[in-house]
Amino acid sequence: MPLPLEKEGMRTHCTMLGIGHLNQLDTYLSPQEYTGTQVRLLQENTKNTKLIHGRVTMQNLIQANGGYSQSRTDKGKYMSGMLEWQMALLHHWHVLPRLTLLAGPQLGTHLGFLYNTRNGNNPAQARLSADLGISGAALYRFVLWKKTMDLRYQASLQLGGLMFSPQYGQSYYEIFSLGHSDHNICFTSPFAAPNIDQLITLDAHLGKGTLRIGLQGLVRQSHVNEIKTHDWSFAFLVGYVKNFQLVLSR
Amino acid sequence: MKKLILILFSLLLLSACVKEDTYDNSTQGNFETLWKIIDEHYCFFDYKHQEYGLDWNDVHRQYSQRITKDMTQEQLFEVLGSMIRELHDGHVNLSSSFNLARYWNWFEDYPANFSDSLQRNYLGTDYRVTQGIRYKILPDNIGYVYVPSFDYAFGSGNLSAIFSHLAICTGIIIDVRNNEGGMLTSAQALAECFINEKQVGGYISHKTGKGHADFSAPQPIELTPAKGMRWQKPVVVLTNRKTFSAANSFTMFMKVCPQATLMGARTGGGCGLPFNSELPNGWLVRFSASPMYDKDMQITEHGIDPDVSVDISPQDWAQGRDTMIETAIAHLQSLSSH
Repeated sequence: MPLPLEKEGMRTHCTMLGIGHLNQLDTYLSPQEYTGTQVRLLQENTKNTKLIHGRVTMQNLIQANGGYSQSRTDKGKYMSGMLEWQMALLHHWHVLPRLTLLAGPQLGTHLGFLYNTRNGNNPAQARLSADLGISGAALYRFVLWKKTMDLRYQASLQLGGLMFSPQYGQSYYEIFSLGHSDHNICFTSPFAAPNIDQLITLDAHLGKGTLRIGLQGLVRQSHVNEIKTHDWSFAFLVGYVKNFQLVLSR
Repeated sequence: MKKLILILFSLLLLSACVKEDTYDNSTQGNFETLWKIIDEHYCFFDYKHQEYGLDWNDVHRQYSQRITKDMTQEQLFEVLGSMIRELHDGHVNLSSSFNLARYWNWFEDYPANFSDSLQRNYLGTDYRVTQGIRYKILPDNIGYVYVPSFDYAFGSGNLSAIFSHLAICTGIIIDVRNNEGGMLTSAQALAECFINEKQVGGYISHKTGKGHADFSAPQPIELTPAKGMRWQKPVVVLTNRKTFSAANSFTMFMKVCPQATLMGARTGGGCGLPFNSELPNGWLVRFSASPMYDKDMQITEHGIDPDVSVDISPQDWAQGRDTMIETAIAHLQSLSSH
């Protein structure tokens, strides 16, 4: 987040790379859970807006991740990829001199795939969804070893949206080669798709630059058309933050 | 703000983890997993109950008694293989690193009606090949097209090349004997070379839930005339018991082509689109998941009867003659002489 939050034109760009643990389930492909490794590229852009007297910050998160996981016997293999864009408008409240709370609506779109290397007519699942949710964050600024630090915890919960899913036993041949649809666009809710994102970051301001380290946990799940899926991932992230001030012409 | 936080936490609590109840990697766990996968996904329970009285719950009762904690993997495989053979379905397999459990009675209990040695007497060695399809003009000006598999994608360029080469022929034989299937899209592409207007080649439905009777309404499989060259003259489709799966579907599609005659032996069937799943120990399971029906809404799981029934006779076999090809040639010649 760019600090100070009220300063109009203040922007932050951060690119982070991460690696972490992955746990996947998709009962369309297998009833077994697969575990493995995920690599993640995360681009976070924030800017302060003029909305509500400058008390709203826009946050754009673009994530790309790739995963490789195995069944517990190592015989089954999954390869996965996901591209996501999430945009949040976060109102901020200074509840204490060093503590700021933020909350607001979030829009997300997700596109990806999960591929099982040994299945025949059900070799893969497409992931396509759009959702509206809510995001909340807490920012705490402190000094450690004479360096200014910003600690952030952010959690996002998806409240509802739309997602693609084949029907319980429907093949992709039927959907895409024959053009037969059957409840393939499903409404989601916190019950049908309980998805929660959590992010902890620590910004260390070192001279002119800012180093960011973080932990990100993504809980992506769905239970529609009697098909259960989950992608639980937890990654360690490291990146570099660029803060800059746009010079606005009046 | 407090209300907002309260709602957020309430939703978090209500949003339980999405997990699947699974069994452990024990002999009992693997047995229960296999039984459950088939119970929840297999698509021909009602049909097979009517055909020969299959009762999957009864199968569980019978086979669970044969599972013991200390049995070896080979012994477990033997029991599980026997259990899935109760389904009488060539699309149901269990594969491990050391064996493939299968039901092959659909062709093993019948005459082979095909020999590549006999076929060589007709194809010779100077035949053309594209995407696995072998084709040649026989001496009597009859085109012979052997399709050993639908594993390859057939492009309109491949198919047009075949029919251009055979254009001078008075009729053609499409031989799908010993073709055990492949891609339905390839079967469809080949069948679409024999129609001039849209036709319903059959129907397909899928399971909508775990119940044995949870199915979607059957939707038509529409055949659209091929964009490339289309065959307008008579065609004979040669089948045997090893014409299975996508080749069975091809035979089903050809039933809607007015100039086609099905000849040979009843096909092997296999009209369920197979899916895969797996057991806790990693063994791969294949099963029929989506039922297909012919244009008259009949299930062709146990095969399609030919219009003209022919077997390779022992005398012809001894003389190096393929009775089925000879009968097809005679049939096409009789049609051209009328």
